[in-house]
Amino acid sequence: MDFLSPTSLAEALAAKARQPEAVPIAGGTDVMVELNFDQRRPSALLDLNRVAELSEWTVAGEHIRLGATVSYTRIIDELGTRLPGLAMAARTVGSPQIRNRGSVGGNLGAASPAGDTHPVLLATDAVVEAVSVRGTRMIPASEFYLGVKRNALAADELIAAVHLPITSAPQQFAKVGTRNAMVIAVCSVALALHPEQGRVGAALGSAAPTPRRALAAEAFLSAELGDTGQWSAPRPLPGSVVTRFGELVAQAAEPIDDVRGSAAYRRHALAVLARRTLDWAWQDYLRAGHGGE
Amino acid sequence: MTGLLPARVIGQPLERADGMAKVTGTATYAAEHPVPGLTHLHPVQATIARGRVSAVDTAQAEALDGVIAVLTPANAPRLASTEDPELAVLQSDEVAFRGQVIGAVVATTPEIARHAAGLVQVSYVEQPHDVALRPDRADLYAPDKVNPAFPTDTEQGDVPSALADAAVRLDQTYTTAWYHNNPMEPHATIASWDGGDLTLHDSTQGVTAVRDTVAPVLGVAPERVRVICPHVGGGFGSKGQPHVHLVLAALAAKAVGRPVRLVVTRQQMFALVGYRTPTIQRIRMGADRTGRLTAISVDVVEQTSRIKEFAEQTAVPARMMYAAPHRRTTHRLAALDVPVPSWMRAPGECPGMFGLETAVDEMAAACGLDPIEFRVRNEPERDPETGRPFSSRNLVACLREGARRFGWAHRDPTPRARREAGWLVGTGVAASTYPAGRIAGSSVTIRFGPDRRYQVETAAADLGTGTWTALRQIAADALGVDYAEVDLRIGDTALPPASVAGGSTGIASWGSAVLDAAEAFRDKFGANPSEGDEASGGMPDNPHTERYAMHAFGAQFAEVRVREDTGEIRVSRLLGVFAAGRIVNPRTARSQFIGGMTMGLSMALHEQSVLDQRFGHIVNHDLAEYHIAANADVAELEAHWIDEHDPYVNPLGTKGIGEIGIVGTAAAISNAAHHATGVRVRDLPITLDKFLS
Ligand SMILES: Cc1cc2nc3c(=O)[nH]c(=O)nc-3n(C[C@H](O)[C@H](O)[C@H](O)COP(=O)(O)OP(=O)(O)OC[C@H]3O[C@@H](n4cnc5c(N)ncnc54)[C@H](O)[C@@H]3O)c2cc1C
Repeated sequence: MDFLSPTSLAEALAAKARQPEAVPIAGGTDVMVELNFDQRRPSALLDLNRVAELSEWTVAGEHIRLGATVSYTRIIDELGTRLPGLAMAARTVGSPQIRNRGSVGGNLGAASPAGDTHPVLLATDAVVEAVSVRGTRMIPASEFYLGVKRNALAADELIAAVHLPITSAPQQFAKVGTRNAMVIAVCSVALALHPEQGRVGAALGSAAPTPRRALAAEAFLSAELGDTGQWSAPRPLPGSVVTRFGELVAQAAEPIDDVRGSAAYRRHALAVLARRTLDWAWQDYLRAGHGGE
Repeated sequence: MTGLLPARVIGQPLERADGMAKVTGTATYAAEHPVPGLTHLHPVQATIARGRVSAVDTAQAEALDGVIAVLTPANAPRLASTEDPELAVLQSDEVAFRGQVIGAVVATTPEIARHAAGLVQVSYVEQPHDVALRPDRADLYAPDKVNPAFPTDTEQGDVPSALADAAVRLDQTYTTAWYHNNPMEPHATIASWDGGDLTLHDSTQGVTAVRDTVAPVLGVAPERVRVICPHVGGGFGSKGQPHVHLVLAALAAKAVGRPVRLVVTRQQMFALVGYRTPTIQRIRMGADRTGRLTAISVDVVEQTSRIKEFAEQTAVPARMMYAAPHRRTTHRLAALDVPVPSWMRAPGECPGMFGLETAVDEMAAACGLDPIEFRVRNEPERDPETGRPFSSRNLVACLREGARRFGWAHRDPTPRARREAGWLVGTGVAASTYPAGRIAGSSVTIRFGPDRRYQVETAAADLGTGTWTALRQIAADALGVDYAEVDLRIGDTALPPASVAGGSTGIASWGSAVLDAAEAFRDKFGANPSEGDEASGGMPDNPHTERYAMHAFGAQFAEVRVREDTGEIRVSRLLGVFAAGRIVNPRTARSQFIGGMTMGLSMALHEQSVLDQRFGHIVNHDLAEYHIAANADVAELEAHWIDEHDPYVNPLGTKGIGEIGIVGTAAAISNAAHHATGVRVRDLPITLDKFLS
């Protein structure tokens, strides 16, 4: 097995173009497990840890450009207030050791339906910056996940960064697990309020072949809030709206029965998580006094 | 024996004698012993669950640089005895379970061995396999005895009539999952031959037992086999008997004429080193209007492997826990195409007390009694099975002391009555028990050394339990000297033989022998010995064994939180009070109790080996998917004990504490979960979806 260790993004891209079968390795918290379990025997590993450009985050206008290999620990410590939803998801990942190594780029590369950052990326309209020697493609998160552990990257592409809107609007993430840490989600929900667009983003994880947005739920809630003038003059939400939102999120799922939980359980829990995240987010919105804006 | 050995060093919370070596990494574990010329073995495992190996193509593996030998049933050396089918490795082409060892690669590095093992091409003649444990199988059979030598079935009185006449009745089935022992240190062996002499560095709970079991299999005299194991990174029973890897390493070392190291991988452990059978327990109870049990009936169905029988003694605790004139217990086995089950912490008591103690909770509620009061009302005056008095039985004291410490008095018994911020909160209790036994066969030698210290030697084991410290404390008191004046040597068959560290018998057995040796030493040499003076002793018979029923008891209390809308379950508090005779070292003892309770919590909520019936293997065969409770799952955890003076069990008054901590925990948690939610979960593990269906 070749071990390629480029020290710049240009070198990395050239290597990936030459050897498209080379498997990128960032934190290695997915790759090393696959190697150890012999689920994968790549002819080459492409180490991204020396590529400084990938381990930085910068502010670009209204967005944060989050380098692909920035660790969860840094996201929690450095971006907790600017990317609240992502930081919440990051806090639930694995253990301190895994959070020190693991990255959003790796989560996207693995594209597991259970990856914790995916629902947040979907709900917040994140955009994946895919780069190759051929140039740069900006891929909206909603077009990134193609199937179980399959994503939209071409063989010669790397993820350079993820772009997430900076926001002071409430975001929430909630996950059900069978224990307190080191646990793969039974199901998860992310919710983001986009008051400036008069819109709500909602997405679910671990309950369909890919992470996915709950489009009908988003449309329902966005319309409900817009029609009743709630964005400028928020009032407590009627219980019927919250319940309906939960039902629609659950309906967006296509869960299976597995060791972690039954399909029926997942549908039930998704509705609960949807209601819970909406309650929390809306309370934040009310508290922040957005009515005066 | 009249009084107990007076305690002076015994009872002190001394730090682990081996603690510094362990935390600084200088303690050598089995695979770490430096052995010159070492080679490395990786097994080839069957990918079918039943059939025959028809051909093995080793060409590609043999062609790999660094490969020394590829062993198959066709070319492996013959064993002297194949009486134990689990150990008869590479002696036939039959496949009896998926994952069985059918070949092995020896190479210059572990990586090459592993790679080459993957290159061995095996063809099979496959037969349909049968791995489904169901209580309605037509081929269930009654074993001759259950582990280790209990009667399979027992019956007293007239259970059917007693049940028919009972004012309050229960008839429920409780199930426990398939569990795998997962000690931190995987099983490992280094085998090296020097002519006809074999040295084994093995991770084991008993070097003497390993020697005595393996010698006849290999056709070597026991005195030509030396087994060395100073430290063990946990075993929980799975290192109590040699498993196939040990024989394989020795066989391969013979074949290649060089030392061979075999480190079992975590995934291989799920097929090769034993596990706890799943159990299906149908429990029937009858009680009169005052809450006194009139009948207890426990019928257990469990599995064993087709090639070797192991019968977990699941119903055994129901024979002695509670009074009832009419009682019966049965065990039935299904022999399946599955790996060989074996010991796992508290075999019998651990799964059996889940069923029994959950049923007792249900009966208490049905009788309108507090579960502690119900247990007190059903205390037997003598052992219900044998009619013998108990050497000491302090279950009621444990229940009362636990209730006091836990704050049980203010409990509202109504289920689903306490809510805190979206969580349903409940509390539950269950009893623990474990037999206080000893195993014969240990001897101890005490020598007065040149440094004027006492060298105490026996082949005992410390699997993380604290033997290095506790046995030395016993030796100090037995000799009437300070702890610092005693040197202990254990874990080597070059020392006098010792019984296996199993059945919570270690300290009682070895400690009795230490005492005997110390008495012999003092008798011979008095208080002022000279350098080189030496005396030996063994474990004297205990005349009380035939007269008394000897058991340790405990009471475990749990507080459980279940999220009302999603069913997520967390154990916010566990408290155990034990009556286990004299406690030799409170520090290491506490660690045994809370370790056992944590393992019980793990069993209640997390652990479950998931069988894929189509292929006959365990799907979640690693720690990523086989969940074991971790730090974040354990909140408040307390272990206490009551002072118990038992002059009958042995001259030390100890009862053994390695296993009782896991007994009853799962029932306490399921009872608390019922109190929290009103939902009775009778099938472990207690997972979130069970509260919503
Ligand atoms: C013990 C443990 C617990 C875990 N717990 C969780 C959890 O709670 N939640 C969760 O979501 N995940 C969890 N994971 C999975 C893993 O930690 C995450 O998916 C993590 O985000 C992976 O990041 P990484 O940097 O380690 O990725 P790597 O392992 O380095 O890579 C993962 C995949 O992405 C590809 N890749 C990496 N970087 C790039 C790039 N820049 N461009 C293109 N492809 C790339 C790799 O080729 C590989 O296919 C856990 C893993 C372990 C071992």
